Amino acid sequence: MEKLNDNQPTSISEETTEKGMTRRQVIKTGAAAAGAIALVGGFPYISSAQNKTLTIVRGTHFIPEAQEVAKQQAEEFGKQAGVKVNADFLNWPDLQPKIGAALQAGGIDVVELWPIQNHLYATNLVDMTDEAEEVGARGGGFEEYVLNSASVNGRYLGIPHGDSGGTIAYRISAFQKAGVKNAADGSLLDMTWDDYFAVAKETKKMGMPFGQSLGHSLGDPIGFCYPYMWSSGALEVADDGKTVLFDTPTFEYALNKFVQAWKDGYDETGTSWDDSSNNRAYLSEKIASTFNGSSIYYATKKRDDGGAMMNDTHHMLMPKGTAGRYYEAGSRTMAVLKNSPNIEVAKEYLKWWFQPENYYKWWGIQEGYQMHHVKNLANDPVWNSDPKMAAFRKIPGLGRLRGFAGDPNEKAGLAASKYVIVDTFAKAVQSGDAKDALQWGQRQLERIYR
Amino acid sequence: MSSSSIRFDNFLDRESSLGVLLMLPGLSILAVFLAYPFALGIWLSLTDTRIGMPGEYIGLWNYIDLLEDDIFHQTAWNTMIYALVTVPFKAILGLGLALVLNNRIRFSNPIRAFIMLPWIVPTALSSLGWFMIFDPVFSPLSWLMIQMGLIESNINFLGDQVLAVTAICWVNIWRGIPFFGISILAGLQAVPEELHEQAAIDGANQFHRFMNVTFPHIKGIVMITSLLSIIWTFADFQLIYILTKGGPANQTHIFGTYAYQVGMSATEIGMGAAITLYMFPILAFFSILLLRYMRKTA
Repeated sequence: MEKLNDNQPTSISEETTEKGMTRRQVIKTGAAAAGAIALVGGFPYISSAQNKTLTIVRGTHFIPEAQEVAKQQAEEFGKQAGVKVNADFLNWPDLQPKIGAALQAGGIDVVELWPIQNHLYATNLVDMTDEAEEVGARGGGFEEYVLNSASVNGRYLGIPHGDSGGTIAYRISAFQKAGVKNAADGSLLDMTWDDYFAVAKETKKMGMPFGQSLGHSLGDPIGFCYPYMWSSGALEVADDGKTVLFDTPTFEYALNKFVQAWKDGYDETGTSWDDSSNNRAYLSEKIASTFNGSSIYYATKKRDDGGAMMNDTHHMLMPKGTAGRYYEAGSRTMAVLKNSPNIEVAKEYLKWWFQPENYYKWWGIQEGYQMHHVKNLANDPVWNSDPKMAAFRKIPGLGRLRGFAGDPNEKAGLAASKYVIVDTFAKAVQSGDAKDALQWGQRQLERIYR
Repeated sequence: MSSSSIRFDNFLDRESSLGVLLMLPGLSILAVFLAYPFALGIWLSLTDTRIGMPGEYIGLWNYIDLLEDDIFHQTAWNTMIYALVTVPFKAILGLGLALVLNNRIRFSNPIRAFIMLPWIVPTALSSLGWFMIFDPVFSPLSWLMIQMGLIESNINFLGDQVLAVTAICWVNIWRGIPFFGISILAGLQAVPEELHEQAAIDGANQFHRFMNVTFPHIKGIVMITSLLSIIWTFADFQLIYILTKGGPANQTHIFGTYAYQVGMSATEIGMGAAITLYMFPILAFFSILLLRYMRKTA
């Protein structure tokens, strides 16, 4: 919001009140009088200045070029529409508190919502069902994971734009040294968690452990821990939305395995990692494999090493557990806040941004980092141009939402915001006592789903 | 001159009425920025309000419910540790610093200004610096120790329970020492030199002079500084939010960060308000202690 604050005083000083007073004149009437005005009814010209500014708040992009495109596009819209546009890109964990503050106090028009947040803030979002359905129809229909996550009681409270998919990135050479067959082609790897942990043990012996963030961060920790839980036969909650099925014998068995694997094969500092720690660790050759979006692979392409690390990096599907293979996948949504004084402008911006020529410019530059939200993009040349991106293309078909098998409602949002599942993993690897950690997680979830 | 303007002049001449008038701006600011949010916080804590959704009055349910929350128990315990463990360290090290600075040394003024830096630099900025020093993968401290052959792998400064609590306490102490140091230094400089000379003539050594001459003079300042520091540390937020966000596994949450997580991230703003208000009686206790002590010494 630094930018917004920088800009506001300028526009305020240039504006005049309804009575034709400038800001300077108001100040001249004395601080006491100004204070009294503020107490009684606020400054009318502040709100009139804000009417001309469209403020967009989004999560920071792990593909920097895409963020630059998003920023330029926002500015381009501003020029065309004759409004001033502030586009801010926040650290992911800071996004939700910012939205919360905006719902209470205003100041933001368009927000990027993470999956489930459209359910959390449902009463505060502008219904954009018609616009969203038009975007879906134009792209051959929304993907299944978008249909499941983006609508709230059958209504679209914004326009869904997919999510950044994450899967397992690994160093081909390290996997080969660890004896993995077909390591050179990730699309041929079909590992169980046992297989994957066995490789971790070998690569750690070689000085390159696996890395996994278990800190308080919304991306990778949740993207790894939820699928591991599902693949081990446990659920946050049953389909009745009340019965917690977290502390199960199969999950206890699987979590014990993870605890052992953490010691044997992982970088044990992962308990304090955030979403960017594993990127940095991988790119500085400290780890051999991690769960991540394709931003790591994207960064290897930009390295000045003659393509060495890019050629040595591949992606494979998430390993399978006893209950199957899953991904945590729901769509993000670009939404307009109901308390925005610029609802019409904000809606126009979204309609404009989702036009194929604009949206595709932003989506295509990410080369598969952002999962496709509509079916037509599943056959886009982006996917076929690089076989190393094949795993990402399959994520939409293997996705589950937070809160599964219950609804993706505010309780699922609460469990994620309180990091209950992630903290269960962190507690287990710290103490070595999976049972105790599971019981703690079960108690916490029962408090949420009561 | 009209009678009304004479009355106004008389009104301004009276000390009591002028006092009230001069107090009004300050009172208004306090009412708007302190009393109103505080009252709103109390009201919210008695409701099940979620962000963007009006709530209903639920009495003390939030407070009662928190008593059964494991994370809240841990948060309360962490806050006590954080506030009560760091203050004695800050006081003792600050006292040492003040005693050193009280000697006549060259460049004493620039040195004093330099020593104030941890206190002056915005906490968010200095915490980011420490965040880099404690980085799990790229910590320069770990690197140095590995190069010196002291350890074999990186230290998990912010990912291990004991180390994470130690790390945040360490940064808090680092940030707080200058405040104690400079406050106590001001007290030291007010100790009459003659008393020291008399005591020395009477045969008192350095230690005895400190205990019987210096300390009685600075006792009040140490007490007031300590109470202020306890109050500030209890209500801390930035340092922990930047270093750990309450992790790992909630082991460094204090009231402020947990309330922020529950109230702002998890949208349960009623519950978040209740968490912060649990701080109120504790802070009120120390504030009353502080005020009583200040009144007594005055």
